[in-house]
Amino acid sequence: MRILLVLLAACGTGDHGGRAAATTPAHRIVSLSPAVTELLFALGAGDRVVGRTTWCDYPPAAQRVPTVGDGLAPDLEAVVAARPDLVVLYPSALNEAAAAKLRSLGIAAILLPQDRLEDLARAAQVLGRVTGREPAGDSLAAAIARVVATPAPGPGIRAALIAWDNPPMVIGGGSYLDQLATLAGARNVFHDLGSADVVSLETIAVRDPDVIVVLADSGATGPPAFARRASWQVIRAVRERHFVTLRGSLFGRPSPRAPEAIAAFRRLLEAAR
Amino acid sequence: MDDELILDLRGVSGRYRGAAADALDNVSLALRPGDFHAVLGPNGSGKTTLVRVALGVLPPRRGTAELLGRAVARWSRRELARVVGVVPQREENLFPQRVRETVMLGRYPHLSLWGAMGGDDRAAVARALERCDVAQLADRSIWTLSGGEYQRVRLARALAQEPRLLVLDEPTTSLDVRHEMELFELVRTLADEHRLAILLVTHHLNLAARFADRLLLLSGGRAVADGAPSDVLTRETVETVFGWPVAVERFQDRPQVIPLRARKGAS
Amino acid sequence: MKWLVLGLVAVASLALAVVLGPTHVPWSALASSDIIRSLRLPRAVLAFLVGGALGLSGASLQALVRNPLADPLLLGLSGGAGLGAVLAIAFHLGGVWALPLAAFAGALMAMALVYRLGLAGDVEPDPRVLILAGVAVGAFSGALTTAIVSVASAAELRNAFLWLWGGLSGASWDAVLVVAVYLPLPALALLAAARPLDLLALGEEPARYLGADVAPLKRRVFVAASLLTAVAVAVSGVIGFVGLIVPHAMRRVFGHQHRALLPAAFLGGGILLVLADTVARVAIAPRELPVGIVTALIGVPLFALLVRRWTTS
Repeated sequence: MRILLVLLAACGTGDHGGRAAATTPAHRIVSLSPAVTELLFALGAGDRVVGRTTWCDYPPAAQRVPTVGDGLAPDLEAVVAARPDLVVLYPSALNEAAAAKLRSLGIAAILLPQDRLEDLARAAQVLGRVTGREPAGDSLAAAIARVVATPAPGPGIRAALIAWDNPPMVIGGGSYLDQLATLAGARNVFHDLGSADVVSLETIAVRDPDVIVVLADSGATGPPAFARRASWQVIRAVRERHFVTLRGSLFGRPSPRAPEAIAAFRRLLEAAR
Repeated sequence: MDDELILDLRGVSGRYRGAAADALDNVSLALRPGDFHAVLGPNGSGKTTLVRVALGVLPPRRGTAELLGRAVARWSRRELARVVGVVPQREENLFPQRVRETVMLGRYPHLSLWGAMGGDDRAAVARALERCDVAQLADRSIWTLSGGEYQRVRLARALAQEPRLLVLDEPTTSLDVRHEMELFELVRTLADEHRLAILLVTHHLNLAARFADRLLLLSGGRAVADGAPSDVLTRETVETVFGWPVAVERFQDRPQVIPLRARKGAS
Repeated sequence: MKWLVLGLVAVASLALAVVLGPTHVPWSALASSDIIRSLRLPRAVLAFLVGGALGLSGASLQALVRNPLADPLLLGLSGGAGLGAVLAIAFHLGGVWALPLAAFAGALMAMALVYRLGLAGDVEPDPRVLILAGVAVGAFSGALTTAIVSVASAAELRNAFLWLWGGLSGASWDAVLVVAVYLPLPALALLAAARPLDLLALGEEPARYLGADVAPLKRRVFVAASLLTAVAVAVSGVIGFVGLIVPHAMRRVFGHQHRALLPAAFLGGGILLVLADTVARVAIAPRELPVGIVTALIGVPLFALLVRRWTTS
C-alpha cells in the first residue's frame, strides 16, 4: 500500500501517478531517462535500478545495469522482462501511452518532467519518497534549488546556442541548456525563442553574440564544421573564432551534476572571450 | 514526272519483336504522283504493319522499301517528314491548342533547330487550312471541335508538311456519313489537283471502291488481290477474306459490297 | 511585351528579396552591408537559379510523360538525394560539400534506376512507366532513409530530415557559382528539344511522323530534367510544387509552344521561389519557415485555381 500512497502523494505535485498496486517502496526500478538514472544513483538507490536506457551512461556504475533499449519509444517487452515494480519515464505522448500499458499490466509507472533544474529538484523529492529515502531526496532537491537560486556573477557574456547548422537552429528559453548558460553567467541572445527554432544567419549576425556554444560528442575536437562555411563568416563570433564546445553528456541533459556543469561552462566561456 | 515512283515496296515482309510469325508477308506496292491506293483487309491482316514498313518505323525482314528511289531506312525522320505526311489512327493531344497552332506543327520538319517560322511557313499553313476547309476554325481550341472538324484539322497538319505522299490510317472511323464523304472527296481532290500520292488504310470497302484508283486487299499478312476496284471486290474474294456472305452490286461504275444477313439455320 | 513584364517581375522579386529580411538593414547601408552582400544577395540569386531549374525541369517533364500533373519530384530523385545525404551523415563524411555531393550522387543513382525501370524491357522508356518507377523509387528510398535514421538514433541523423526540408539557408556565393556553371548545359539541352517536345505532346507515333527522333529525345529530356532537379535538391533540399505549378501558370500566358514556355517556366520558377523564400524568411521572424512549406501553402490554392480555370475554359 505504501507505494500507492506514495504515488498518490506524487500525484499531488503534478506528476502522473498510477493506480497499480504494490506493497513496499520500489525495489526494482526501470529508469527510462538518463536524468532519472543519475538521480537514483545520487540518492544511493542505484542498486535498485534493474533496467536503464542506452543513453544512461552516468555514473559509471550505471553502465553495469542491463539496458532495455534507447527509451525513445519504450520497448515494453524488455521493460516487463526486467520484472520491475516501478518504471519512471519522461513525459511525452508516446510515453503516456506506454505508461498506461504498463499500469494495465500491474506495473507502477510515473512520468517526471525533467526539462529544467526546478523539475529535477522535484523529481529528486518524488524519487526519494518512492524509494523510501526521503531525507536523501529532500536534501538533493534542496541542493539543486540552491544552484538555481545562486545568481551568476558579472555582466553576462552574450551567447548563441547553436544546435544545428543547415538550417541554422538555435536553442532558446525554456530549455535546459539555456538555463545552464544563464546560471553560468551567459546571456542567451535567443532567449526569446522556443527551445529549438530555425533562424536566418542574418538574425544571428545582427544579435551579435560574443560566443557560439555548440554541443558535441566527447570525441570531437576543434571548432564545429560550419565555422569554415563562407556564409557563416558574417557572424562576428564565427569570424573571430569564439567557440565554446560542450563535450559529453554532462551538458546535454538535466543532471544532478549541474553545479559541475555550470562551473565547467563558466570556465569555457571565460576562455573563449 | 508523273512516272516518278514515290513509294516502292517490293515483296516486303515485316515481323514485330517477339512475334512468332510475320505480320506482313511478301507484299508489293508502287505509288506515283496522283495515285490513290486504298489498303483493305480484316482486323489483323497487316494493314497497319504495311504502313509502318512504308514509313520506316518497322524495318522489312525481306524485300525492299524505297521512298523517292532511296531505301526508307536511310531517310532520317526529319527528311522523311518533309516528304510524307501521315494522319495516324490515334492521337492524344495533351493540351488545348488552337487549330492554327496544331497545324503549324506540320512545318516543324522544315524548320532549323533555332530558326523561327518564316513567311513561307505561314503561307503553307494558310494553304493547308484552306484546302481542308478549316480556315474559319483557325483560332478555335481543338477541344471544341467535332470529330469531323478535328479530322480535317489533322489532315491540314499533314498537308502543311507539303508532302508528296499522304498516308492516312483509318481516317473515317467514328465519322458520320457527311464527314466521311467530305474527307474522301478532299483526299480525291488532293490526288487529282495537287498530284499527291495517297495511301489510305480503311475498313470502308465501299468508299474505297468509289474513290480509290487501286485497292490492295490483305489477309493474314498476304496480298490476296491487288488492282482496280472491280477486279478486287468480287463476291468470292470478299466472302473468302472477310468470312461473311455478301452481294456485290455496281454503282456509278464501281463495285459496292452489301453484306447479307445471316440465314437462320444456315448450312 | 509579356516578356518585358516577366523580366521586370523577376528583377523586382530579386530586389524584394534583398531589401526584405528578418533583420532591419537601413537603406543607406544596403550597398555596403555584409548581410546583404554575403547572405541575402547570394541567397536570392541561388533561389532564382534553383526555382528556375525546377520550373524548367517541370515543364519538360510534363511534356515528356504527357501528364500535366507531373512534378520533378515524382521522379524519385528527392528520395535518392535524401538517402545520399543521410548516408553521408551516418558515415561522418566531412567537408562543406559532402552533403550536397552525396545528395547529388544519390539523386543520380535514383535517376539511373528509374530510367532502367522505365525501359520496362523495351529499348526506349515508356513515359507512363517512368512516373510509376519514379514514385516507387522515391518511396523506397524514403523508407530506407527513415529506417536508417530510426536505427542509428543519432541526433545528427534526425536532423538530416531537417536538411532535406531545409531550403536555402546554406546559400553562399560558392553555391551560386557551382549552380550557375552547371545549369547551362542541361538547360540548353532542354531548350534545343523545345520543338520536338511540342510534337511529343501529340503522342509518340504522330511525333515520329512529324520528324521527331522519339527515342533519343525521351532519353535526353529525362536525363537533362533529372540533372536539373538533382542539383536543385542537392543544394536546397526538397522544394515541391514549383515544378508542378509554374509550367501551368506560364502556359496560360505564353501558350503551349515550348520555345516560349520553357524559358518562361525558368523565369517563372525563379520568381516563385525567390518570393517564397522571402516569405519564409520574413513571415514569422525571427524564426524561419521551411521554404518547402511556403511553396506548398502558395502552391496548392494556386493549383486548385488553375485546375478550375483549365477545366471550365
